[in-house]
Amino acid sequence: MRPVRMILFCIVVLGILLLALFAGPRMVNPFALTAMDREILYSIRMPRVVVAMLMGMALGASGAILQGVLRNPLADPYILGISSGASLCAALGLLSGFYFFGSLSVPLTAFIGAALVSVLVGAFGWKRGGLWPERLLLAGIGLNFLFSAVLMLLMSVSSDEGLRRAVLWMFGDLSMADWSLIPSAAIFIVIGMGLVLSRSKALNAMILGDEFAHSLGFAVQRERLILFVAMALMTSASVSLGGTIGFIGLLMPHIVRFLLGADSHLLVPASAVAGGAFLCFADLVGRSLMPPMELPSGTVTAVFGAPYFLYLLRRKDVLSI
Amino acid sequence: MITADKILNIILRRLHQKGELHPVRKFELIQILSAFICVKILLFLITFSPPVLAAEPLPIPTRIISLSPATTEVLFALGLGDRIVGVTSFCDHPPKAKKKAKIGGMSNPSLEAIVELKPDIVVMTTDGNPREVDDRLRSMSLKTYVWTARTLAELPEGIRELAGAMGTKESGEKLAREMEEGIKKFRNQKPGARSRKKVLYIVWPEPLLVAGPDTAIHDAMTLLGLENVAVHARSSYPRYSIEELIRSSPDVLIIGKGAGMDIRTVSQGILKKLASVPAVQNGKVCYVSDNLYRLAPRVIQGIEELAACVR
Repeated sequence: MRPVRMILFCIVVLGILLLALFAGPRMVNPFALTAMDREILYSIRMPRVVVAMLMGMALGASGAILQGVLRNPLADPYILGISSGASLCAALGLLSGFYFFGSLSVPLTAFIGAALVSVLVGAFGWKRGGLWPERLLLAGIGLNFLFSAVLMLLMSVSSDEGLRRAVLWMFGDLSMADWSLIPSAAIFIVIGMGLVLSRSKALNAMILGDEFAHSLGFAVQRERLILFVAMALMTSASVSLGGTIGFIGLLMPHIVRFLLGADSHLLVPASAVAGGAFLCFADLVGRSLMPPMELPSGTVTAVFGAPYFLYLLRRKDVLSI
Repeated sequence: MITADKILNIILRRLHQKGELHPVRKFELIQILSAFICVKILLFLITFSPPVLAAEPLPIPTRIISLSPATTEVLFALGLGDRIVGVTSFCDHPPKAKKKAKIGGMSNPSLEAIVELKPDIVVMTTDGNPREVDDRLRSMSLKTYVWTARTLAELPEGIRELAGAMGTKESGEKLAREMEEGIKKFRNQKPGARSRKKVLYIVWPEPLLVAGPDTAIHDAMTLLGLENVAVHARSSYPRYSIEELIRSSPDVLIIGKGAGMDIRTVSQGILKKLASVPAVQNGKVCYVSDNLYRLAPRVIQGIEELAACVR
């Protein structure tokens, strides 16, 4: 592979993590922590960095899987309607007065919504004993439109200010990150990650086409189902952690492909790590650019990521999934 | 040039001629008559119209539409509630405002709905209504009144001006006086510079939105001699950094009433994170009503609540 690039990649990721923890509009000196610094570090920044890392990893890996499974460079974890379904479910939960779990109610309803939509998309994509990429994609797009439209309808009809703000929360917010959600979300993401990493070979084969994968001895339908489940678990967990954050799921796998190649053994974990590090970076920029105001990380990711992606695109001759 | 007398002479001469008028003549007559009327109107406009128009008193608007919740409250406070025919869907105070016809939101009012209500005047603000709405309404020759007051200090003058345009000078003067006296009362109670307390007004806890400068809340704090911790933010209701909140260690946290959900439940999460902040440690977390969200007469009650919180 490309050892120099790999080492560079690791250094950059580590550097970003350290920066995200200690830098910002106000520096925290790790060698001389005051009581306030310690509090800010442990209860504000660390959960924030961990949530950003987890979300970015889940999105980056999901994007890489989905682009391979659907054999489509435009696939991203949100295209299947998982995020809009989660938003809709959270909004409906709030409207019906579901607030038993305090500040955990929105993430919880969002996760339930995301899981339900994943099952629904899977059901629509299921025919003749298996999942079919085109069906999955079209079902996802259809559901996505439906859920977004219903959500917009709810927002324009309801004058409930709380609902509006809950929907705002769905548009990516890391500032409220807190330890309470991290363990359960991490479990789902780790399971998803484990599933994909054990199926890298199959994913590599499937990118070349079903017949090819079949001739190599892979049970295509079974592998596809496992990968789909892994993707759904990770995306749902990430949506419930901090809402929807664009760009990473769609473009991070492409950037990693440009830099490190398209072998799924490397691509999936590298997309995950790069996604996580990039979201940490975006969050750092978002809170440092105009203090004491904070910019939403979702927009920062795109503003910084898209130009870099376009630059790489110009330089590259041959594109691959 | 044709003068009126000349034309009159010609007409009289023609009319004195016996028998039916020749078609050509008839046409000529009509031409002359219309020319005469035109000249008359011109003369009238040039010589008489300016003094006549100026002498006529401004018509008192009887069908008012208000395009912002704040102006709706001011209009009701001026006793014009019966003349209001339309309000936005956000106008919820006083309770009677909810029963008025709705014309849509502040930033996207329905022009059709406004026109259908046949208003004499549409009251709008520079704070929340887009300029284009004003332009469109004017182009449909609807009268608009633009409310420009944005700070507490500008409120009394704004009330006077609006009352003048609505033809209720006396009640405007009375209400403006009340406001001025209320404000003055609080100004006199201002504590010394040494006891300036640091305050943060939380509008919504998740994501954290606070009251920045350029808000009635900020003006009220300044009036009471309080220091708004979020004064450096660059917008009215910025998304604020929790880190910054902890560092600035406010003495009092004020949490405004949110619509829909119970704000106390929603605030639990953030208060847990702010355990080390003096305000939370000393139990100086105060839940207030929405009186200060709009620049309208009830800000005085809002300032009262704020003063009670920091006392």
